[in-house]
Amino acid sequence: MKRILTGLAALVVAAIIWLPCLHLLFIRPLSEFRQDPGLSSKARQLAARHLQLWTEPALREQELKKMRASNAEWDFMGRSYLVWSLANMALRDPPSKPLYLQTMDQIIDETRRLEKQEGMYFFLMPYAKERHYLVQPAHSLFLDGEIALMLAARRVVEEKPEYKPLLTERVNVIVERFQKSPRMLLESYPDECWMFDHCVALDAIKMADYLDGSDHSALIRGWIAMAKQKLVHRDSGLLISSFTTDGTPMAGPEGSSIWMVAHSLQLLDEDFARDQYQRARKELGEITLGFGYAHEWPESWKGEANIDSGPIIPGFEISAGSSGMAFIGAGTFGDGKFLTSLAATLDFAAFPSRTGGRLKYCASNQVGDAALLYATTLGPLWQKVKTGGKP
Amino acid sequence: MIKLFWQRLAVFQRAEFLSARDLLQRAGAISVLFLVAHVAGLREFTSVLNGTVGSTAVNVKLGTFLAAVYILLYLASVILVPVLVLAALMLVVWQRCVRKEENFSGPRT
Repeated sequence: MKRILTGLAALVVAAIIWLPCLHLLFIRPLSEFRQDPGLSSKARQLAARHLQLWTEPALREQELKKMRASNAEWDFMGRSYLVWSLANMALRDPPSKPLYLQTMDQIIDETRRLEKQEGMYFFLMPYAKERHYLVQPAHSLFLDGEIALMLAARRVVEEKPEYKPLLTERVNVIVERFQKSPRMLLESYPDECWMFDHCVALDAIKMADYLDGSDHSALIRGWIAMAKQKLVHRDSGLLISSFTTDGTPMAGPEGSSIWMVAHSLQLLDEDFARDQYQRARKELGEITLGFGYAHEWPESWKGEANIDSGPIIPGFEISAGSSGMAFIGAGTFGDGKFLTSLAATLDFAAFPSRTGGRLKYCASNQVGDAALLYATTLGPLWQKVKTGGKP
Repeated sequence: MIKLFWQRLAVFQRAEFLSARDLLQRAGAISVLFLVAHVAGLREFTSVLNGTVGSTAVNVKLGTFLAAVYILLYLASVILVPVLVLAALMLVVWQRCVRKEENFSGPRT
């Protein structure tokens, strides 16, 4: 009996010593994740894996097949995040610009081809076909906004004349719909609008203004004023994630959305963006025993786990989706402490796998890794547009 | 003969429950199992954590099971194994101290 009690006591003391030290195995200097100027080692390794996917069609096919079995949106968003990352990488690493531009063009052209050939439903979840879009002809702001931002990002890095009319056409469609919509709310799915998609689309419009000398600043200001007034969750002060075309909330504030929304807003309204980040950090971000993670919902909102939140780990209420997107928020606003702790969690719990200088996270997928790549590289693209230097 | 050889190897001898050797044996067993799972490539199946199937070669149920096995072994090896080893070290030190004390306080002849 004495031996068992001594053994149990030793186990308890050992656990008390080890658990607070565990994160030290995984914590790395911030410069391994994000580096200014230049590219961090993690960015290079993640990018190498993605570039391999676009040079080896069989490998890409296999990855996309796995993702599309769960969510066709991820196939599309994986492309968007990769193009936006490559744009930032081209600005950070000019000698590699030709390779990055070539890959960006390849992705943009293939995405446009698939959209044209298979129709917009190819990149949407099946329920998009269950109802009719209220505004006809049907358009999804999700697709229009992200494709426009891909085209714009490419042109900010280096002008490509063939893409100029394509961007103008996309932007005109979006702007026209904003002007016709009584509440300035556009559908991504039938009568379903997303904050994420609106912010990305407005970024694309802002970048088109920068590139082509148009001026939609009044539209952007008007939309943000409307959002502050009508699309903010009262208790947390965070922007809600989804709503109908008449502004009725569908989902409340969500971590899988708000971190990217704060990042997108940085190009449109720096103060509002920072306010949203700080609120999200307070309401959703956590650091426990040196490991950073994020909840999907603030305490004042109850939601159900869904395809965006990913599985929620009970007890700590960790959302894989929100924690992954938190990298983008923390990277945007230079929150080094949170970013370092998030990176420790990533190396602890996302099962990194390195082969020949290429990195992927087994617990993630192509879109997750592309979003992480974006978090390691973001900055120069927004900076170039904000400072207003000639493209 | 072979059985006798293995039995004589101290590491495989049954230890008293929660003794230092018992803890080290458990730590060793977990480490070996994790190594086997890792070499077998089960890490790939952990993509179930984001709702993506780990491999299109096996069905979803089997993939989820393999992922769960890998994740449990991984967590055991990074959380439990160091705790077991630390506890075993503490027990060894404790036992030595107790023995020393007994030697000092024993009858002097």
